[in-house]
Amino acid sequence: MANRRCLQALTRQATSLSSSVRHLNTPPLLSAPFPLKPLLDARQVSPSLEPNRCALWPPRARPFCSNRTSDDEDEDEDEDEDEDGEGGEVMEESDCETGKSSSRSKWEYTAEEREAEAAAIGYTLLGPLERSDRVFNPYEPVFAVVQIGSHQFKVSNGDCIFTERLKFCDINDKTQTIVGRPTVPDAAVHAVVEEHALDAKVIIFKKKRRKNYRRTKGHRQELTKLRITDIQGIEKPEKTDNEKPVKSAVKKSEKVAVAA
Amino acid sequence: MNKAKVFKLAKGFRGRAKNCIRIARERVEKALQYSYRDRRNKKRDMRSLWIQRINAGTRIHSVNYGNFMHGLMKENIQLNRKVLSEISMHEPHSFKALVDISRNAFPGNKNVVHAPRKVAMPLSV
Repeated sequence: MANRRCLQALTRQATSLSSSVRHLNTPPLLSAPFPLKPLLDARQVSPSLEPNRCALWPPRARPFCSNRTSDDEDEDEDEDEDEDGEGGEVMEESDCETGKSSSRSKWEYTAEEREAEAAAIGYTLLGPLERSDRVFNPYEPVFAVVQIGSHQFKVSNGDCIFTERLKFCDINDKTQTIVGRPTVPDAAVHAVVEEHALDAKVIIFKKKRRKNYRRTKGHRQELTKLRITDIQGIEKPEKTDNEKPVKSAVKKSEKVAVAA
Repeated sequence: MNKAKVFKLAKGFRGRAKNCIRIARERVEKALQYSYRDRRNKKRDMRSLWIQRINAGTRIHSVNYGNFMHGLMKENIQLNRKVLSEISMHEPHSFKALVDISRNAFPGNKNVVHAPRKVAMPLSV
């Protein structure tokens, strides 16, 4: 199913945990060598989660983000997280912050509720990616099984997985999946939110023959693309050692690969 | 939907169903109905495939699928069949560990009968 992903990125308004960054002016960023995607027309309202933000969204300028080109940086999916981190995060948080505080009566989540909901799905939000974080490690032959929502994935370092759209996550946020019982305690998988995207369109078509009934509907599922950066809770193999596979009891099977 | 969309969806159809609008419209409607139904069927088919793969993987270690899953449920291991089938394909050592856990949790696998292996018969008669 991953080959049908349409990677038209969607900038998403979301509540963000750290509000201090929005007051920074973005430093002039290096111009990316990639073609900048036209994001200005893709700034749609995320439909399902915040329906009452529509009224305020279009005329809202972004008073705190000085550099308009910065919002294209974070949609590129490569490993160049330095520029992505700064540009993406400042853009995301300054989006609707000012309007958000004034008219958001129904959909305000306090910090505790946010964390409770996120933990219920199965992840914790660690915070935005800083410029100085070096999270993209080279490949290690360790894998972990992660459960997000109701889906389980077998992940390893450097993988990309598509999950349902995670609430309260911005692009370039680090999420950490905490596994509880009946899972391995004190193990964690770190991931970086790479983009929020929509799935390819499926057409829902219903027809009853000879009864003059025909319905057509289109649907695009909202997804989050996560890139796995780190797996903790198991000893990683040394490059020169020859270790036997380690057996762990429940839910998180880990393998220490025989070094080639 | 208008004709252009219908023809776009009718690419690759056989005969006049990709060229003539009256036939194409019928075939496209049928195709969309099938895809609606099959999005639900795909989930069933994939689960069946995973179960077959897990079965094959466990029978190598002389445990069959039913006993294996029973042992995992007893141990409260909540790996789903998708992940188990991936582990059985790509991580054989981890899978053997899981099979051992299951065998300890639920003994009773003495009756697994392998299919009779085909022995090369000499061509004398």
